[in-house]
Amino acid sequence: MTMNWENVLEFARGPFFQVALLVFVAGMFYRLVRVLALGWKPDRVKAKGSKVGGIAVSFLKGIIIWPFIPWVKNTFSRNPIIYLAGGLFHLGLFVVIFLGTAHMLVWKSLIGVGWPTLALPIVDWFAAGAIVAMIALLINRFVNPVLRLLSGPAEWLNWLIVFLPMVTGYMMTHHLWFPYETLFSLHMLAVDVLLIWIPLSRISHFMFYFFSKAIHGADFGKRAVTP
Amino acid sequence: MPEETIGQHLKRQGISRRDFVKMCGLLVGAMGLRYAPPLDESGLPTHLDHARGFTSASFVANALENKQRVPVIWLEFQDCAGCSEALTRSQSPTLVDLVLNTITVEYHETLSAAAGFQAEQAKQDAMKKYAGKYVLVVEGSIPTDNDGVYCTVGGRTAVDLLKEAAAGAAAIIATGNCASFGGIPKAKPNPTGAKSVLDLVTDKPVVNIPGCPAIPEATTGTIAHFVVFGALPELDSLHRPMPFYGNTIHDRCLRRPFYEAGQFANSFDDEGAKKGWCLYKLGCKGPTTYNACATIKWDQGLSFPVQSGHPCLGCSEPNFWDGGGFYQGQSAPLDRPTIAVVGAAAAAGAVVGVGVAAANRMQKKSAKVEKGE
Repeated sequence: MTMNWENVLEFARGPFFQVALLVFVAGMFYRLVRVLALGWKPDRVKAKGSKVGGIAVSFLKGIIIWPFIPWVKNTFSRNPIIYLAGGLFHLGLFVVIFLGTAHMLVWKSLIGVGWPTLALPIVDWFAAGAIVAMIALLINRFVNPVLRLLSGPAEWLNWLIVFLPMVTGYMMTHHLWFPYETLFSLHMLAVDVLLIWIPLSRISHFMFYFFSKAIHGADFGKRAVTP
Repeated sequence: MPEETIGQHLKRQGISRRDFVKMCGLLVGAMGLRYAPPLDESGLPTHLDHARGFTSASFVANALENKQRVPVIWLEFQDCAGCSEALTRSQSPTLVDLVLNTITVEYHETLSAAAGFQAEQAKQDAMKKYAGKYVLVVEGSIPTDNDGVYCTVGGRTAVDLLKEAAAGAAAIIATGNCASFGGIPKAKPNPTGAKSVLDLVTDKPVVNIPGCPAIPEATTGTIAHFVVFGALPELDSLHRPMPFYGNTIHDRCLRRPFYEAGQFANSFDDEGAKKGWCLYKLGCKGPTTYNACATIKWDQGLSFPVQSGHPCLGCSEPNFWDGGGFYQGQSAPLDRPTIAVVGAAAAAGAVVGVGVAAANRMQKKSAKVEKGE
């Protein structure tokens, strides 16, 4: 059998995707159990407020309020580039993954439910924004001496493995330079690698973020010190 | 007596000069001569690359007048005769007539008047007479399991017949997805061990004209190219002629603007479907399917599947029957693990996690004991 992009695409959309998905699921459950098994120290503080209320406020402020009035937070005034580019990147990623038609169809095929999506040109601007933001973050990581000291191979790899699916997806949508099936193959290969890499890396924060937010929120709520 | 030329043959049949020139123009269009290979040796002016119309038509006219007819032997194996059917109903009679009658099909099981041993004898005679000169057209896949017993003609297996006919062919044209890539006989679980022509014939030039059926103009256009230039057209990585398979359906689709604008039909009878919006969500395989449906179309340019409201199935691509479902969006993965398998993966991850955590705790405990805490 001659090697051509159709074969690569079949492999990347078929068996490799399936394996990557299973590694992802197994890996995330492993990580979750490891974190839970660390245990909690008994908290003997008398409750001054509601844990659930604390969690709710913590999520509301973190997702709906702070992003829109960033200047009140130190995180912003100290690192405006990271704050803005990071925000833009996460927003773009969310829009592309959940509101892009092609991606919605992936979800639909996996979980059986579809939803309305945004028009391609709109999703496109978010994707472009996310890609530009990632490049800005990379440059920042190179230029900022402290960040550079903090960055090991894992950090550079994180950046690359997230960047590849985004840039190949963008090129594919715009039919840039290579035939569609070539870019489709590269995009799927990159996605498969990303799926396998997520549980092994700190990209797993997409799940643990919600855990830490909930745990801190509950602590703050109990002590009635919700920020 | 020397073999008569195509021009002489046409004159004898009473084709007027005017009709002849019309035919040549048609052929030039059908062959998509922009893709003419550099053919200085065979006498093609180099400026033909840029010239359409008169120059290339006159070149074709010249070739047809002076060249001898090219015999075609047409074999059918595991096929439905749909590609032959499409040819005979293609509604472009001049072109098909030119190719089938003028260029001469010496052997075609479905179309020939002779049958049985007579037909087989005619084929043997033709293969002997035109050894090394004829074009072999193959329709249908070739079964190889159990010594190829799943398809035999006159008591001989398809593999045997193909190898015999291929040995004396100047070039081989595999028409339809079955001959090109195995088609439906090769779809999972491939009970007959079906293979494509290219899987079995490695020592002859092979052109694939995939499709289900192949677009008749693509088949005849390729044969015509061979007649006129004495060579096959430029091919892509899957051995498909570039003039017909150079663009995807998506590239030339009349619904493309709706794709760009994110306007999709969500079902076959919703508002979007009635307004002619993009069929991507209904499983259209247009973006990865190389074929000329969107430009040549079918039935004299009347329509093609996407225009008529049905998503492209990708019938000119390998393994399109196993492409994850005709009505499933193309971005969706080909295979999905079952809930049970996902559950097992989750459980495995969790069990390993518990194990490692327990081991760590024990290690911690024993370390504390050693320290005497």
